[in-house]
Amino acid sequence: MSASIEIAGVSKVYDGGVRAVDAVAMDVRQGEFFSLLGPSGCGKTTTLRMIAGFETPSSGAIRVDGADITHVPAHKRDMGMVFQNYALFPHRTVAENVAFGLRMRGLDKATIAAKVKAALAMVELSGLEDRRPAQLSGGQQQRVALARAIVIAPRVLLCDEPLGALDKKLRQQMQFELKQLQKKLGLTLVFVTHDQEEALAMSDRIAVMNGGRVEQVGTPTEIYNQPTTRFVADFIGDTNIFRGERVGPNLDVGKGLILALPPSEMQGTGVLSVALRPEKIRLIPRAESAAAGSSAHGIVENTNFLGGAVLYRVELAGGHRVLVQQPNAGTSRLFVPGNGVTLEWTPADLVVLKD
Amino acid sequence: MNSTAATRPNGLALFILPSALLFALFFFLPIGLMAVMSVLTGNPVVMPKVAFTTRHYVRMIGDPFYLEVIWTTVRIGLVTTLVALAIGYPLAHWMARIKSRTGHALLLMAVLAPMLTGIVVRTFAWMTLLSDKGVVNETLMSLGLISQPLKLMYTETGIVVGLVHIYVPFMVLTLTGVIGRIDERLEQAAENLGASPLRAFLEVTLPLSLPGILAGSLLVFALAISAYVTPILLGGFQIMTLPILIYQQISANFNVGFAAALGIVLLVISLLLVVAYNRALGLVSGQRELQ
Repeated sequence: MSASIEIAGVSKVYDGGVRAVDAVAMDVRQGEFFSLLGPSGCGKTTTLRMIAGFETPSSGAIRVDGADITHVPAHKRDMGMVFQNYALFPHRTVAENVAFGLRMRGLDKATIAAKVKAALAMVELSGLEDRRPAQLSGGQQQRVALARAIVIAPRVLLCDEPLGALDKKLRQQMQFELKQLQKKLGLTLVFVTHDQEEALAMSDRIAVMNGGRVEQVGTPTEIYNQPTTRFVADFIGDTNIFRGERVGPNLDVGKGLILALPPSEMQGTGVLSVALRPEKIRLIPRAESAAAGSSAHGIVENTNFLGGAVLYRVELAGGHRVLVQQPNAGTSRLFVPGNGVTLEWTPADLVVLKD
Repeated sequence: MNSTAATRPNGLALFILPSALLFALFFFLPIGLMAVMSVLTGNPVVMPKVAFTTRHYVRMIGDPFYLEVIWTTVRIGLVTTLVALAIGYPLAHWMARIKSRTGHALLLMAVLAPMLTGIVVRTFAWMTLLSDKGVVNETLMSLGLISQPLKLMYTETGIVVGLVHIYVPFMVLTLTGVIGRIDERLEQAAENLGASPLRAFLEVTLPLSLPGILAGSLLVFALAISAYVTPILLGGFQIMTLPILIYQQISANFNVGFAAALGIVLLVISLLLVVAYNRALGLVSGQRELQ
């Protein structure tokens, strides 16, 4: 049965004083696809390894279904893990790899054979039972690793960048399949990745980590649409971040650019950072006049054709450079470098950030 | 141009020439000569009339003494190998897995340091330790653990102790390389799947380090059965091994032919082991290609 995980103020300090994980607190709900997202060195893998029991927290506690497992050895935790390099046993066949966990649980041969067969069928590897890992493609190895982890019906499935080594097409397919499998089996899944698109596409909730700390925990839409910190806004997708002084209901970000603050943020004084996603800005041919606070004139500096959309970099009259993403509406409607344009946005789309 | 290219396909190939010559001159030639000598009635250099004979081999097989010597040599080799493996494996595992660089350097030093001293010196050191009035016996007797000195010198035990000390580094270095290449995450994967650390070691690390175990054992065995200094000094001619016998045949009996035949036997034992090693490796690793 799937379990919930509670990570209560966990820190990991290595010899020499390096704080790999710093007071991380979060709850993973039962049956949830939960991602730990962040750049390399942010502590996400260390956090996962502490859940698995390969590292012991320096302080704090990890609970599974309310029971403290902080000092339970890895082999008694009943968790499945898919490693980044799959960690398949090279001296054993596919079937033996998948059977390993069942064998350790002392099941009888007939039960093991049946479960292995079912698990391999689930990851669509039937017929490859007698191959050795080195004879499989990367995608197939990935499926074996997955089958080996889920065949023991773990309380929690842990994945350490399991799709990182696959090419893009295969990765997308595996993302879809893994997500489907997780929902079908009702697995509690903790997924470590540095790929924000992957995290956004697959997760029920995401914890964005940076420098050993959790910056924000939320659903993909919350993380993307309402980033709470400058790091999250910057790390997830492209964004424009402005920093300036409050002047009444507006933000003066210098160089002659005034941004009207969203209605909820009109009160207050002092310095503020705001984020504005490139796709929340509309780009139109140079208009007669620009409404102060929600539009600005500029010149297209360069374009980045993405296929379904075009990413423009626009230099505003005052010198600010702003990213704008527009859907690809046909060749005749695309701007080219040098075009004079006007940017328009809705003040409510501005997101106020904590620094 | 084409003809030169055909005769000299690769200039780099020339670099192999010196080692090829060296190998032919100092390896194949002596062994070939030894093989020839072992089936001749005498030394053709000093005796003009020699004939082919099998008498050296017949003598060896016919006389239990020589069979006993061969068996003693093999037995000392096997025991030395097993003890060296038992001591070397944990050490190699420790060295391969240790995180601290200083720790690794210290262990490596500890393993290599004995190799910086000559074999004779180390063997004499063991003599002072193992003799009837040596450190070991004196200590044990003063502690009252034994009343009579243990017979450590001039026994196979003494020879094995000396040989193990000398050849353990070969075992450790061979094993460290192999164990170090085994991904630690494989053990973690095994533990994650419910294997205790010991079980994970037995199921994963041990089988994967088998090539190293075999290579290290082969090396130590071959060195141990051909050792000369240690069996002489610690065995004091009480224990007869093949190398000692060969030396006696040449220097005392001037029976070069018989010495050559004994040498061939020593060589064949080693070669049989290499063949067995390759077969064993093929069996355990199957058609496994390491990634």
